[in-house]
Amino acid sequence: MKRSVIFVLFVVVAITALLFSGKLLRRQDQDSTHASQQTTSIRAPKKGDMAPDFTLKVLGEKGKTMQLSSLKGKGVIVNFWATWCEPCKIELPWLVELQKKYGPEGLQIIGVADDESGEKSISAFAQKMGINYPILLGTDQVADQYGGLDGLPTSFFIDRSGKVVDVLIGIDSESRLEDSIKKSLGQGGSSDSNTKTASAK
Amino acid sequence: MKTNWLALLGFILVLSGAVRAQERVTVDHISDLTVRLGHSAPLNFTIHIRPGFHVNSHKPITPELIPTEMFFTPPEDLVIAKVRYPAGEEMSFPFDPTNKLSVYSGDITVRAVVLPQPNASPGRYTVHAELKYQACDNNSCYPPKRLPVAFNVKVSSGAGRARARATRTSPHIHN
Repeated sequence: MKRSVIFVLFVVVAITALLFSGKLLRRQDQDSTHASQQTTSIRAPKKGDMAPDFTLKVLGEKGKTMQLSSLKGKGVIVNFWATWCEPCKIELPWLVELQKKYGPEGLQIIGVADDESGEKSISAFAQKMGINYPILLGTDQVADQYGGLDGLPTSFFIDRSGKVVDVLIGIDSESRLEDSIKKSLGQGGSSDSNTKTASAK
Repeated sequence: MKTNWLALLGFILVLSGAVRAQERVTVDHISDLTVRLGHSAPLNFTIHIRPGFHVNSHKPITPELIPTEMFFTPPEDLVIAKVRYPAGEEMSFPFDPTNKLSVYSGDITVRAVVLPQPNASPGRYTVHAELKYQACDNNSCYPPKRLPVAFNVKVSSGAGRARARATRTSPHIHN
């Protein structure tokens, strides 16, 4: 009799624990979804940190590499993306436009392809998208330097001194990118009222 | 003492359930299968996609997108055939409301059959498989993953099985 009471108690506790863990996880899901919708900063590297330096192969230019620190003096976006990433595909034309608009003011976007599909297909994709800035071939080591890059797209905005001034995880809007670009260029982060708001938001 | 073991088992189950629930995609455990020589047995993989996430269907809309796919490495004596994927659901997402993607979300089932080779030896086999998927949410996409899956298949000889069935059914005949 006593055993069966304990067993029933155990079942009740187990079911309660299951329901509680499910509720907790659901709440975590909602929090993380909300967080990603807000496009928050990731922990590593943080705003104010020096951007971790790297040297990576440049797509389509045999043997040529690019070192991030060689861009000191410019406002830089390091945009991690992949061919299999649909939100990246939406963001790339915005970056192309922003490179055109802010290039003369000292902006340099670099795309880092975090992609295992091979140089040929990355190159074809970049060409199809009309990318007008260098594409580098990402490595696990660089991904780790930038916090593991679980989700794409992820962009790090770096000022002229090499400090990270903003981080965007996930797609947001063209105007949000533009605000962060202004921070990189030392123009402050206020929104330009003439900025075209992205159709995605 | 037995109760303690039950409590421990329950705790492990709860814990593993919580851990599994944190994965973006999980596949249900496949119970041991039995298949007779010369026959096939159905094989169902129930795949759970965490709420808020989606994966590409088996036939995504563009070649750059990574399809959801099962890869099997059966032992030489077994064949996995007739792998059937559900049709994708055409959905648009906030990052591109004007376009529709072919995706899976929620729970889906991938079906297949397992059959022994004609010269297979009766016995117990383990089949290793992998589910390849690439998940996204409304803002981000996550690197493609391969989720390992393993299941056991018992191959019985046709004659043995027939004898076993004869003995098992005989009492019912008398009823």
